[in-house]
Amino acid sequence: MSTPHVLLGLLVNGPRHGYDLKKAHDERLPQAKPLAFGQVYATLGRLERDGYVEQSGQEREGGPDRTTYSLTEAGRAQIDDWLAQTERPAPYVSSTLFSKVVVSLLVADADRARDYLIAQRAAHTARMRELTAVKTTPGAGLGDIVAADYAIAHLDADLRWLTTTLQRVADLHREVHG
Amino acid sequence: MRPSTVLRLALAGSRTDRLRTVLTAASSALAAIALLAAVTVGSITTNDPNGPYTSQLLNEAGLRPGVLAALILLSIPVLGLAGQCIRLGAPARDRRLAALRLAGATPRQAVLVASAETALAGLVGSITGYGLFLALRAMLHRPDAAGLLPLPTDVWPAVLPAVLVLAAVPLVAAAVGTLLLRRVVISPLGVVRRSREQAPRPWPGVLIAVGLALFGIPNWLGDDVRIADEVLLLLLGSGVTVATVGVILGTGWISHVSGRLLLRLGRRPALLLAGRRLLSDPWNGSRTFAGLLAGVIAGAFAIGYRAMLSTEMLAYDRINAGAPGGLEMGLAGDDEFYLNAVRLVIVAVAVGVTVAAGGMLIALAESIVARRRAYAALTAVGVPRRVLSEAVLWHTVAPLVPALLVALTVGVGLVRLIATEIRLSGGEADVCLGETCGPDAALTHVVWPEVVLPVPVPLADLAVLGGGVLLAMLAVVGAGLLVLRSSTDLEELRAG
Amino acid sequence: MTTLLRAAELTRAYGPTQALRGVDIDVAEGEIVAVTGPSGCGKSTLLHCLAGILRADSGTVRYRDQDLNLWSEADRSRLRRTDFGILFQFGQLVPELTAAENVALPLLLAGSGRREARQTAVGWLDRFGVADLADQRPGAMSGGQLQRCAVARAMVTEPAVLFADEPTGALDVLTGEQVLNEIVGVARAQRTAVVLVTHEAQIAAYADREVVLRDGRVDATGLGIGVRS
Repeated sequence: MSTPHVLLGLLVNGPRHGYDLKKAHDERLPQAKPLAFGQVYATLGRLERDGYVEQSGQEREGGPDRTTYSLTEAGRAQIDDWLAQTERPAPYVSSTLFSKVVVSLLVADADRARDYLIAQRAAHTARMRELTAVKTTPGAGLGDIVAADYAIAHLDADLRWLTTTLQRVADLHREVHG
Repeated sequence: MRPSTVLRLALAGSRTDRLRTVLTAASSALAAIALLAAVTVGSITTNDPNGPYTSQLLNEAGLRPGVLAALILLSIPVLGLAGQCIRLGAPARDRRLAALRLAGATPRQAVLVASAETALAGLVGSITGYGLFLALRAMLHRPDAAGLLPLPTDVWPAVLPAVLVLAAVPLVAAAVGTLLLRRVVISPLGVVRRSREQAPRPWPGVLIAVGLALFGIPNWLGDDVRIADEVLLLLLGSGVTVATVGVILGTGWISHVSGRLLLRLGRRPALLLAGRRLLSDPWNGSRTFAGLLAGVIAGAFAIGYRAMLSTEMLAYDRINAGAPGGLEMGLAGDDEFYLNAVRLVIVAVAVGVTVAAGGMLIALAESIVARRRAYAALTAVGVPRRVLSEAVLWHTVAPLVPALLVALTVGVGLVRLIATEIRLSGGEADVCLGETCGPDAALTHVVWPEVVLPVPVPLADLAVLGGGVLLAMLAVVGAGLLVLRSSTDLEELRAG
Repeated sequence: MTTLLRAAELTRAYGPTQALRGVDIDVAEGEIVAVTGPSGCGKSTLLHCLAGILRADSGTVRYRDQDLNLWSEADRSRLRRTDFGILFQFGQLVPELTAAENVALPLLLAGSGRREARQTAVGWLDRFGVADLADQRPGAMSGGQLQRCAVARAMVTEPAVLFADEPTGALDVLTGEQVLNEIVGVARAQRTAVVLVTHEAQIAAYADREVVLRDGRVDATGLGIGVRS
C-alpha cells in the first residue's frame, strides 16, 4: 500500500505530529478511505524503525504531549525512489465486483446474474452522479476535483465492463438456449 | 504518375461525379457543334447573291464573318456551361481529392487527376458532338423547290480547323477546370478554400472605360483618317472584350457593395445572411454571372444596333417621301435583310442567355447542396425556410440587378459610340425616274432636304431584355429553392 | 414540479428502420434528463421528436399540454426558436456570420432591433467566456469556442427546454467537461430543463435522471442491452 509514502510526502514541507498528519492525509485525498489514528502511529513507528523519519520534538498545546516527526535523508531518498518507479499497470485483477460477477455466473442462473448487475449498475450510476455533483459544486478545490475524476474514471471503466460482460453473457445464453 | 494511374483515379467517382462528367460531356458536345458550324460557315467559298443558299448572310462573302462571329459568340456561354458543370458536386470530388492527398499525392497530382477527369469528359463530348454534327448535317440537308439550301450542308468543314476545334474543346474545358481549382488548396484533411483577403475595388470600372474608348476610337477619328480593316476589327473587338471583362470583374465590387448595403440598410435576418455571404465571397457573382452578363451585353448591343438601323431606314424614308417624284434611296439591300440579321443575333443571344441560366442553376444548386448541413441545422433551431429562401434570393438578386444595369448600359453605350443621330445630307441631282433609263433618257432634277434624326435609346426593348433575364434568374432561384427544400431536410443532420 | 414535456407511445421509422417503437418520457420544469443508450437505439430521433423537429409517426408529444404533432411546421418552427434551445455536436453556426450575429439571429428572427439583439448576444457570449470572439467568424475558432458560441445561441432566447445532442462529442474530455459544466450551471440558474442525449455515462452523470433507450424503447433495467432471448 502507499500510505507510508503518502505520510513521507506530507513531511516534506516540515515536521508534523501524528494528528496533524491524519488531518492532512484526509484533506489531500478527500475521496480515499479516511486514515485511522492507530494506523498513523503504527506506520510512523515502522518508518522510524527503517530510518526514514525521526522524532524531532514534543509539542504541547493544552492537551496531551504530541511527538513531531521529521523526514530524514534516507526518507527523502525513499520518496524520490518511489516517485521515480513506474507502477506496473494493474498486475493482478483483484476486485470484489469482478469476483462477484464471476461467481454469480458460476453458481447462479443468468437471471440472477442479471439482477445483480442491474442493481450494481444503479449503485454505480448513483455514485457517479454524486461524485459529479461534488466536482461541480461551486468552490470545489482542485483536490476534490482530481479525486472525483479518479473515482469517476474507475466507475466508468467498471460500468463499461459490466455492460460488455452482460452483453457477452446474453449472447452466450442465446447461443446455448436459442 | 503513369497516365494509366491518372486515368484510373480520374474515373473513380460517385454518382454525382458521373452526373458532372455527363453534363460536362454534354455541354462540350454542344460547344463542339457550335464551333463546327462556325468552321463550316468559314469554309464556304461562294460569293454569289443568287448562290446556293436561301440566306444572303451565307451567300455573300462580306457578310459571312458576322455569322461566324455570332456562332463563336454562341459557343462561349456553352463553354461557360461546361465550366459550371465542373463545379457540380464539388464537395464530393474535393473529399476524393483530399483522400488522394492523404494517400501521398502532391497537390499538382491531385489537380492533374481532377483536370484529367474534365479533359476526358470534354473529349468524349467533342467526339459525340462531331457525331451529332454529322447526323444534323445529313438531316438538315433539305433543298427547296429552287434547289436552294437553308444551311451550308453541302460544304465540309475544313479539316485542319475542325480537328483543332475538336481538340480545343477538351483542352479548354480542362484549362477552365484547373483555373477553378487554382484557389482550392487541396489539403489532406479536406478542402480549404483560400479566400481572397482584400475586398474588391472598383478598378474594373477603368477596364469598362478603356473598352469603350477602344471601341470609340475609329468613330472619333472620323472618316478623314483611313484605318486598315484589320486594325478596325482589332479595335472594335478588343473594345468589346475589354468592356465585357470589366463588367464581369466589376460584379465582384458590385457584390461587395451590395452586401454592405444589405447589412447596413436591412433589418431582416435574411438580409443579414445574404449580406454576409456576399461580403465573404464577392467573386461568386463574377464566376456565376459571367456568361449571363456577356450575353446581356451582346443583346443590348444588338438592340441598340437595331434602333440605329431603324432610324437610318426612317431617315431614308423621309428623304424619299420629301422628294417630288419619289426617290428610292436606302441601305444597300433589302431593309428586311438587315433586320433579319439582327433578329438572328438576338435569337443567338436568347439561346446563350438560356444556356447561361442553366449554368447558373447548376452553380446555385451546387452552392446550396454544399451548405446543406448548415441549412438543416438552421431549420432545426427554428429558422423558417422562408427566411433561408429569402436569403438565397437576395444573395442572387442584390448584385445581379446592378450588374445587369451596367451590362445593358455598356451594350447600348457601345452602339451609341457609333452614332447618336442619323444625319443624311440634303442635295440635288438629275436622275432618271422613267421606266427605261438609257443613256439619253429624260432626267428629272430632284432636290431633297437634309434629314437629321436622333437615334432613340430603345428603352422599352432594353427593359424587355433586362426584365426577361431577371425573370429567367428568378425562375432559376425558384428551382434552386426546391433544392434548398430538400437540403433543409433533417435527414441531413444525420449525415454528419 | 410540473411536467413541461410529456411524450407517450412515440413511434418513428426511417424507411424500413424502426427508430422508435413506443417511447414514454416526461420532462419536468428545470429538470435535467439524460437520454442514453447504445448507438442506433433511437436517442437522436427521440430528441428530434421531442423538439418538434421531426413529426412522430404515432403517439403524442405534449408541451405545456399542447400536442406538437398536431401543429403545423411553421408553428413548430416558431416554437423551436422561442421556447426551445437546440444544440448539436457541431456544424450549427452560419460560417459567414460573426459569433455575435450567429447568437443574435434568433432574436432578430423574433423581431428585435439590431443593436439590442447584438447587446444581448454579446452578454450571452460573455456568460460563456467568449465575449472577446464576438466579431470572429466560426472558421477562426477552436472546437470549444465554437460550442460555447452555439450554447450561447441556444440559450439567448432563454428557452424553457434546451435540447442537446452529444454537445461535447466533438471536444476533448477536459474542454467537454468545462462546456457541459457551463451548460448545466446556466440551465440551473435559468431553470431551463435540459434533454441531454449522450452515449457516455460520465456525461449522463451530470443529469438529475437518466433514461436509457434500447432498440427504440425505454429500457427500465437501465442496462441498455438485451439479456433474455
